[in-house]
Amino acid sequence: MSVIDAINNLLKIISDGVVNLVEGILGPGLGADLIVMGLGAVALCTLAALTFMAMTWAERKVVARIQSRVGPNQAGPFGLLQPIADGIKMFTKEDTTPASADRWVYNAAPLIIATFALVTFAVFPLAPGVVGTNLNIGVFFVIAVGSASTVAILMAGWGSNNKYSLLGAFRTVAQLVGYEVPMLLNVIPVILLAGSMGLADIVQRQTLADGNPGIPFILYLPLSALAFFIAGVAETGRSPFDLLEAESEIVAGFHVEYSGMKFALFMLGEYVNTLAVSIVFATLFLGGYAGPILPPYLWLAIKTAGVFFIFMWLRGTLPRVRVDQLMSLNWKVLVPMSVVNLIAVMILAKLFVTSPGLQAANGGILVTPETQAAILFVANMAILLSGLAIAARRARVLRLAEEADIESRREANRAAASSFVGGAPAK
Amino acid sequence: MTISQILFIVMSLVVLGGGVMVVTARNLFHAALFLILSFFGVVGLYLLLDAGFFAAAQFLVYIGAISILIIFAVMLTRGVQLAQPANSQWPAALVISVIVFVIMAIMLGPIAITIGQRQFGDVSWPNVTAGQPAPAVADDSLVRLGQSFVDFNQYGAAFLLTAVLILVAMVGAIWVARDRTLKDVMEERAELAAEEAQEAMLAGLVQQPLPLGEAQSAESPAVPAAHH
Amino acid sequence: MLNGIPLYWFLLISAALFCIGLYGALARKNAIAILMGVELMLNAVNINLLAFWRYIAPNSAGGLAFAAFIFVIAAAEAAIGLALMISVYRNTQSVDPDKLDSLKL
Repeated sequence: MSVIDAINNLLKIISDGVVNLVEGILGPGLGADLIVMGLGAVALCTLAALTFMAMTWAERKVVARIQSRVGPNQAGPFGLLQPIADGIKMFTKEDTTPASADRWVYNAAPLIIATFALVTFAVFPLAPGVVGTNLNIGVFFVIAVGSASTVAILMAGWGSNNKYSLLGAFRTVAQLVGYEVPMLLNVIPVILLAGSMGLADIVQRQTLADGNPGIPFILYLPLSALAFFIAGVAETGRSPFDLLEAESEIVAGFHVEYSGMKFALFMLGEYVNTLAVSIVFATLFLGGYAGPILPPYLWLAIKTAGVFFIFMWLRGTLPRVRVDQLMSLNWKVLVPMSVVNLIAVMILAKLFVTSPGLQAANGGILVTPETQAAILFVANMAILLSGLAIAARRARVLRLAEEADIESRREANRAAASSFVGGAPAK
Repeated sequence: MTISQILFIVMSLVVLGGGVMVVTARNLFHAALFLILSFFGVVGLYLLLDAGFFAAAQFLVYIGAISILIIFAVMLTRGVQLAQPANSQWPAALVISVIVFVIMAIMLGPIAITIGQRQFGDVSWPNVTAGQPAPAVADDSLVRLGQSFVDFNQYGAAFLLTAVLILVAMVGAIWVARDRTLKDVMEERAELAAEEAQEAMLAGLVQQPLPLGEAQSAESPAVPAAHH
Repeated sequence: MLNGIPLYWFLLISAALFCIGLYGALARKNAIAILMGVELMLNAVNINLLAFWRYIAPNSAGGLAFAAFIFVIAAAEAAIGLALMISVYRNTQSVDPDKLDSLKL
């Protein structure tokens, strides 16, 4: 096996080696299976934790550069040891607990959030054939497990025995539960086109038969990608939707009473969630590990880093969105566009099929994948542009009505003021 | 004792333990959390039954949505601390629950009981023998489920009706629980009071003697009786 | 995954959970706690249905479809029930079903 093949299949060679080693010691059977699965879980969690450290460093540097400053550069060259310094700080902080907090609930909440953020890593295909477990409901599993962490946020808010904590938890849960709807609605067209919910199958569908990358789904469905990305930004609680942890507003929301390691676990949960959403976006819409020259896992890393860079870019440039604007963006703009998009994709994907087997089974017009991609792209852009135009027109009408309202109130004030003895004030 | 049996026993302890704590907890928030624990146990049981899609659906629907709904309702109605969790008929409820469980356990269980001429229990379900593995599930059971939902010869109509049901439930829940200002509440009460005053006036009108004194005796005793 | 678990174990567990939910629905003072009992009963029914599907007809879609419909209906019923409870609380400041025994406010 040549060196290039070895580099390309590095992960698979390592995992095969470990399996052979364990089976050599214990013999094939349930015990060896369990140990191999345990080692795989440990490896995935370690990967997530190391990437979390790199992400915190990258975020601070990139956001600093966007804001025309340098960022941390004291701890090691280019500040590379800053995450380790942060970790030491978190470990050595005092671990406070509010006096009348509910101890079990208060302590369990950060554990549950961190756990469910890490569990989603079990279904990500890191390279062809290297996946924790190839569930046939992969995408559904990721979204379902991601939604279970909202309960932990309510536990954190209630367990802190603090009114502001509880209010912050309510707002957070309203945002998270609300933005799951466009996330699911925009994953469904991808599932329709790929024919399966498994992440490995979706990546397969975006590669050609000889292993080269085909047409990524973002070119088929740009509106779905955009709406999924916005929903992902809101789901992970990042700027501009970061009302959940806005230090200047609701006193850091539901994790105001947490300090030290538990706060670090909340941060871990948030960043690992961001990483999970980035990898899911790269897998669903950008083609996963498919790429021409470099090894597959490097391609996945590059695509994930690109998506995360857009996350950081949004954080550095956009102002925070108000909570009612956030909700109205979701229910009045994203959900209707997603529903119309879903109906359009359903109809078009049924009309224009790409494989003769499907045509024989269900009827339709046979086209090449490029033509189907072009048709869906045009339909998506039409829905996106018309949706944005409608939203802009309605926003303009609302703004004009509000300005007219303010004007009329000013006139009434002036009329009332001019009836004073001293006369009207100067305009 | 196979591993499946051990897992089954652990999961069912979680389910039943969580269930018992739900119905006996004094603090309603803790009851909601134990309900979530019970749902986790049910996820484990679904995984043992090779229904992976339903395990994920249970996560998404029950733990991710219904539990949050219940916790919101507990917070909004401020019933978190209860003086006594059980109401006045709990002994009767306990007896009824135990009787129902015993009846179901006899009817579904492996022991046959003969009462008079009839035999209860020990139904011989097909394909099932204790100790033997159950028949294998088809690989595309999920595909078959999806196809049965869109095929009008199978469950297509029921699927569409369920969608309408969810729509009605959504609209109804939003309408029933909508925020009413004090002005709205006062208006509703004023309307109700006006209706009652009108009914009382009608009853009063008929009870008063008519000005010409004609045919009042035939009318008046009947109508007030019909009102109440 | 079902090595050595007979069908009636699942049926007994589902019957036990159903009876626990029944006790909760009959013997609790708070309407939301009653709803929690109802949710337990619906879960018990789902376990029952999926056990029967798995053991007796694993190649059919009927059992799975029935269980899916129960998921949906349980969600809809929980939503409406809780909305009604919130509305009742706003009008009468209490969710004790023993006190809600007249149609007048």
